[in-house]
Amino acid sequence: MQSLSSKNLLGIKELHRKDLELIFETADSFKEVINRPIKKVPSLRDITIANVFFENSTRTRLSFELAEKRLSADVINFSSSSSSVKKGETLLDTVNNILAMKVDMVVIRHPSPGAPHFLAKHVNANIVNAGDGTHEHPTQALLDSYSIREKHGALEGIKVAIIGDILHSRVALSNIFALQKLGSQVMVCGPNTLLPKYIRELGVQVELDIRKALEWCDVANVLRIQLERQKIKYFPSIREYTLYYGINKKLLDSLNKEITIMHPGPINRGVELSSDVADSEHAIIMDQVENGVAIRMAVLYLLAGDPQA
Amino acid sequence: MRVLLKSVEVIDPRYSFHRKKRNILIKNGTISSISTQDVTSDKIIEGKGLLVSIGWFDMRASFCDPGFEQKEDIVSGSRAAHTGGFTEVALLPNTNPVIQTKNEISYIIANNSHSLVQLHPMACATVGTEGEAITEMIDLHQAGAVAFTDGEKPIWHTDVLLKSLMYLQKFDGLLINRAEDQFLTTFGTMNEGVTSTQLGMKGMPNLSEELMIERDIRLLQYAGGKIHFSNISTENSVELIRQAKKKGLSITCDVAAHQLAFDDTALVDFDTNFKVNPPLRSKKDVKALINGLKDGTIDVIVSSHSPQDEESKKVEFDLAEFGVTGLQTLYPVLNSLEDKLDLNLLIEKITISPRTILHLPIPEIKVGSPANLTVFDPEQEWVLDDHSNQSKSRNSPFYNKTLSGKAVAVFNNGKWEFNL
Repeated sequence: MQSLSSKNLLGIKELHRKDLELIFETADSFKEVINRPIKKVPSLRDITIANVFFENSTRTRLSFELAEKRLSADVINFSSSSSSVKKGETLLDTVNNILAMKVDMVVIRHPSPGAPHFLAKHVNANIVNAGDGTHEHPTQALLDSYSIREKHGALEGIKVAIIGDILHSRVALSNIFALQKLGSQVMVCGPNTLLPKYIRELGVQVELDIRKALEWCDVANVLRIQLERQKIKYFPSIREYTLYYGINKKLLDSLNKEITIMHPGPINRGVELSSDVADSEHAIIMDQVENGVAIRMAVLYLLAGDPQA
Repeated sequence: MRVLLKSVEVIDPRYSFHRKKRNILIKNGTISSISTQDVTSDKIIEGKGLLVSIGWFDMRASFCDPGFEQKEDIVSGSRAAHTGGFTEVALLPNTNPVIQTKNEISYIIANNSHSLVQLHPMACATVGTEGEAITEMIDLHQAGAVAFTDGEKPIWHTDVLLKSLMYLQKFDGLLINRAEDQFLTTFGTMNEGVTSTQLGMKGMPNLSEELMIERDIRLLQYAGGKIHFSNISTENSVELIRQAKKKGLSITCDVAAHQLAFDDTALVDFDTNFKVNPPLRSKKDVKALINGLKDGTIDVIVSSHSPQDEESKKVEFDLAEFGVTGLQTLYPVLNSLEDKLDLNLLIEKITISPRTILHLPIPEIKVGSPANLTVFDPEQEWVLDDHSNQSKSRNSPFYNKTLSGKAVAVFNNGKWEFNL
């Protein structure tokens, strides 16, 4: 069996193009599986996976859990909305306690950038990053690219605009890495205070005007405006954001072209996307969710099958 | 007890025997002869390529004592210092309690008269290092404070910095500031640049340091007095200080050795032993710092020895404390720079310059002088590990790495240590 170049999935940055393609090919077969009447395969029987979530999450955790169960893995869940430090136990102790119960893989979401990398250095299990602070969210980027591939046939040459809070977005960063490896062109668009100062040096275009960004792109990946992660004020009000960076049907209709609309969820309806856009035929938001399960099955399957593991 | 340094090359441009080999005899802590002749002794220190200079001085270290003795204390810190080749160390006031009364000063200097390593306390510039009101600087100076600083913390309050500069002029006292505009570094964990963008970490821009240096230079122009910028890290900081020195202002500055050895790309693995403040900057900044040392803009190289226990470092990157240990690894860093910078110059930055800035006596290498000397071997290879590490803490980016260059003996205060 083919395998990934790493025993962990820490970020997209560390992966090669052939890893991404292998994950997509594997996801193709799992997508077929989950559309069968019997959605389950025995691939990860005898593998125990812990979903360790130090940050609130509904869809990512559900998606991982479903992927694990459809692969017949045994699943345990640990979630704590406050960080481990506040609980008086270190991250390493928490995870080692879970591993002592003979767990093979850890899916971790954590507010600190690099927390999965830290774990990978100190523990033996396979680590899957389900989002580390403002750093990476690799499975989201994989399912996003996979969904574009599904809709447009390929990623090579496709123009993708990522719109919103780029500064605090792990989705944006992982998407940039993934899309570039797969040959797409990437633009970021948002208020200048929400764009990292050095973002151009990652090889992306920068646009402050949303209309120009939409005129340029084939795909708009619209990010959730994350007020909760902004401890410093980066823009004056949600009202102004919606007026100047929100996407509505009128704006899209005025473009004389069709754009694929994506969103990693959960949507702030009426803020970054109006409902008539989110629910339109051009939006592939629900396909993203469905593909998320297939992609996560592929990742877990490939990591568990790694002979080094 | 007579100890002979046999055929060691002297590094000290003040003397005619600079860069020449001499036999130096130390008798009961005093230099009793300097010659090319053989003399009898009780103990001989010799070796191919050994060098000797006056004892090294570290102008910025933390021994965490009192208050954080689990990280370091005066005994372990002093041992790390002499093992690294230092005979004198100036200590930051960020202990608990902070160093702001003569009681705390006496605690630090209590053993100075009979210790190998002499400690020079720097006192807080503001009460509790809170930046609001200046400390009893005259009294602290009388008690033995060699300079005034809030240490790890910048003096953010413009008027307090101004008043400090003015008040200190009574005794030509030195104010030390670590420049950082903390509004621009809020939640920052590393240098702002391409690497921080790739890692999704909040950056600390160069601007945060440069703005405060510019401000302080303006205040110095207005108030007079003198200021020392500690731990400068950016290209523009070097240039600002270069220009201010040209104008004749009383400004000096130092750089931490680790800033010369690493840049921010070292952080790609989220290794907390590279987490320092000011952060490791870009390659361009490192180059400018080296040029600043070369042309004399940067006066001193410091260890910025900042011990952190495992509980403070073996955690998620953004939760980890800033700081690295540095006393034992400063000389290997200097040694690695020898193709870029002259050895005389490097040694001056850790001997004569810091003592001049702090108005402390400069040891001499002449017959009859007390021996305050460091003997060092630029060729010796060693590994910083649990065996060789003398600090209580292990937060060094050099841990378990092979290093080149080592102090082999130190003399001071009638005491000496060999085979460090």
